[in-house]
Formats: sequence, C-alpha cells, structure tokens
Amino acid sequence: MQWKPAATLALIPVAALIAPAVAHAKIYVSVEETQQRLFPGEKLTLNPVALTEAQREKMRDLSSVREPFRGERVWKTAKGDWFIVDEVVGKHEMVKYALAINADGTIKGIEIMEYVESYGYEVGEASWRNQFVGKTADATLKLNKDIKNIAGATLSCKHLTDGVKRLMVMYDLALKGSK
Amino acid sequence: MFQMKKIACALALAAGVTTAQAGEGSFGWIYTLDLQPKGTLEFEQRIQYNRGQAGGKYDFWQGRSELEYGVTENFQLAGYLNYSYVNAYRNYPATDEFPNGETGGWGVSYPSDNKYSKGRMEGGSIEAIYRITNPVIDPVGVGLYGEVTLGSMKDEVEARLLLQSNFLDDKLVLAANLVGAIEKVKFVQGETGPESMIDILFGASYRVANNWTAGLEARFHNDFYGYKYQTHTQQAWFFGPNVHYATKDWWVTGAWRWQPTGGKCWAPNDGECSDGRVWDSHTKNEFIVKFGMPF
Repeated sequence: MQWKPAATLALIPVAALIAPAVAHAKIYVSVEETQQRLFPGEKLTLNPVALTEAQREKMRDLSSVREPFRGERVWKTAKGDWFIVDEVVGKHEMVKYALAINADGTIKGIEIMEYVESYGYEVGEASWRNQFVGKTADATLKLNKDIKNIAGATLSCKHLTDGVKRLMVMYDLALKGSK
Repeated sequence: MFQMKKIACALALAAGVTTAQAGEGSFGWIYTLDLQPKGTLEFEQRIQYNRGQAGGKYDFWQGRSELEYGVTENFQLAGYLNYSYVNAYRNYPATDEFPNGETGGWGVSYPSDNKYSKGRMEGGSIEAIYRITNPVIDPVGVGLYGEVTLGSMKDEVEARLLLQSNFLDDKLVLAANLVGAIEKVKFVQGETGPESMIDILFGASYRVANNWTAGLEARFHNDFYGYKYQTHTQQAWFFGPNVHYATKDWWVTGAWRWQPTGGKCWAPNDGECSDGRVWDSHTKNEFIVKFGMPF
C-alpha cells in the first residue's frame, strides 16, 4: 500500500474543523451571577484596591503566583464581606474565579467563573471548592497539604490553590480592617 | 554484500526518525510528562519531513497515527500506526560506482544512480510512559518511557528517561530526554543488521500568550553498530525552533530542526557523511507537524 504525505497533511485542518463537534464543556459565569451565588440577595459595592509594590512582592513570595493581580475587581458588602475576582494560568487559557471572604476573615466560598480547557472540570465541583471554606490567611493553602489534588487536573488545582492563597495574603495586607 | 552493509548502515541510523510525543506536545521531538488523565483518550497525527542530503534530491516523509490512553493518573499507553514515503535521486556523494552521485539513504532499498520513490505501510508501535514525579507540583518531573516497534524496515526497542522542570506559573518548561534504542534493521533480501543509539534531547518552551507556546530544542545524536553499542558510527547535532497552539478541543505543533556542520562519521562508507554532516536517515532540515484531538 502506497502512502502519500500530502493526503494526511490535508486532513489536519479538516480534523481541526471537526474537533468542535466532539467539544468538551466549558464554564462561563458572569460576575453578577457569581455574586448572587456567593452572596444571595446582598448588594455589593465596587471597592478597588491599590497595592504597593511591596505588597505585590509579598503576595508573590507567599503564593508563588506571578501573574499580575488586578485590584479593580474587588467588591464589598454592607456587612464587611469581600468578593474578589481573579485569574490564574490554566492549561491553555486563564482560569477566572471568584473568592468570597467573610467579614471575620474566613473564606466563605470560591466559584469558578471561566474554565475552557480539555480536562479538569472537576475543579468546579463543590466537593473540591468546599475544601477552602472556613480557612483564613494563616492557612498553608498548599496543594497536597491542606488542599487535596484532583487526578488529571493537577495544574488547575495547583494554580487555583495558589491563587486563593495570594488573595488571602492580599486580604491580610490590604483589606482586613479597611472601611 | 558490501552494498548490503552500506544500506544497513544507512538504514540503521534512522532511530531519530521515529520519535513520538506524550500527551499534548508543545515540543516537536522532546517528550514531556504531560500525560493523558485517567480514562481519557487522545488521537494524534504526526507528519515528519526530512529534506536535503549531500546533493541531488532526498525527501523522506513519515506519518504516525496514534491513540493515547490514560490508564492511571501516572501511567499512559499508546499505539501507533507507522508509514513513510521516500523520494531520492543522487542524494549521496559520487563514488567510483556512481560518479554522478548515488541514490541512497534511509528508505532506499538498494543503491543506484536512478530516481527512487516508494511509499510504505511500515508497521506499528506500542508505547508506555510512567510518571514518577510531576513537574507541576515537584521541582523536577521524572518519567520512564518504553516503546516497541515492529515493522517492515526495522524492529526496535526504545527507552527514555524523561526530565522536566516548570517555572513562572508553569509557563516556562525546560525538558530533556535521555534516549537509548536497540534496532534490528531489515534489508530487502531478508538480511538484518544490529544497531543501537544514544540521543540527548533538550529544550525550552515558553507560553508567549494564552493558547500559544514557542521554544527551542536540540538533539545530540549518536549511532552505533551492534546491539551493545560496540562501534560508534555517527555523531551529529540538530537545533531548531518550535511553536504550539492549543485549545480545549485540539492542538497543533510545528517544529524545525537544522543540522549544522561538525557532525562526525566513523562508518566505513563515505556516502553517509560529507561536508561535516551525517546522512542516512538524517538530513540538513527536519520538519514536523503534529495534530492532537483529546476525547
């Protein structure tokens, strides 16, 4: 049987067009919907935070996350709870998530807002996200220590865990006690 | 018999042609420790094009169609279908027998000074990778790789030590493979030849934007006659860039390797080495395109 390379090369763009037909799911939740999931019925007010370079460096050191944090995506409730939107590096794209912090500094919950990857959608399941609930800025927040990994979603689990750690460091440095 | 040995040497040094890639491949030829998650499948298609030897014309195409399956979190199995196409004409230097240049090299069944082209369904391969440590959570990822190939042109057992370290939020990947292979090269009249190989592959890849990575990779290649690395026959370097694009539904990688001068030959046939480069299965330029589709 003769094989002609050109025929196989021609199949690659065809396969790329067909691929979405077997596409995997994706997660996309708006800021408003995420706020309602974490703070149902509550009114949140945008409360941007300006960080100093020293604060950013401490956040990098303690979390190992190097992606820049955008301080304009911080909201606050009338009771003093916090809602923060952040992004971490995913396998192919950024993973957007939200962290809710109670006024007493404990984690109320996290929600995955945007996840568009081949695998690893288990990070959106409550059983994994609930591991963070109740932890404070003093928690280690390290994968395979106080946060369990999900097989096949290691990169997402690690980066989200580090991301939450970064936000808790930021809370401790810049949000705690602020009015 | 002399010609048969000549072809044997030419054919035997083809181990580098049949390289593959675990999981999603951001490098052209280097294996990383990105394995399929447990219970998932990926289809991968690759086309490698080796172009240009001492003179004349030499084009060697190799296709590999692969299915990868994640058996456990750290163990992956894969099966390949291998096929190739060669088009050669006076690509080796002139000899007394062929003063206008010789038609030879990997895939050419017999030496002549005529045009030669042939497509083949070569056979298949089975590959296994075990990840000992994961570079996403460990400082150095380490893995073991084994591949068995049975085909019309050669049978081969290949082993690799896979090393990988990730930096900068896993956006920078440094990877290296130490490769050893033993081959039984098959000739047109049923004779076989024992060969072995040691390669070191290394490179870096950086995520330049979401969905995109780009990098450089190198190959330090050594071929030997005999199953036990008895006689060193060839040594060469290859360098080149790679670029990779991936979405959740598919990915594609393109890479190019160039063979600089400075290669060495200790084989008995002049045609396998000229102008500081090694030939046989090797060329001045190697290109690869890989396409993957996870399920």
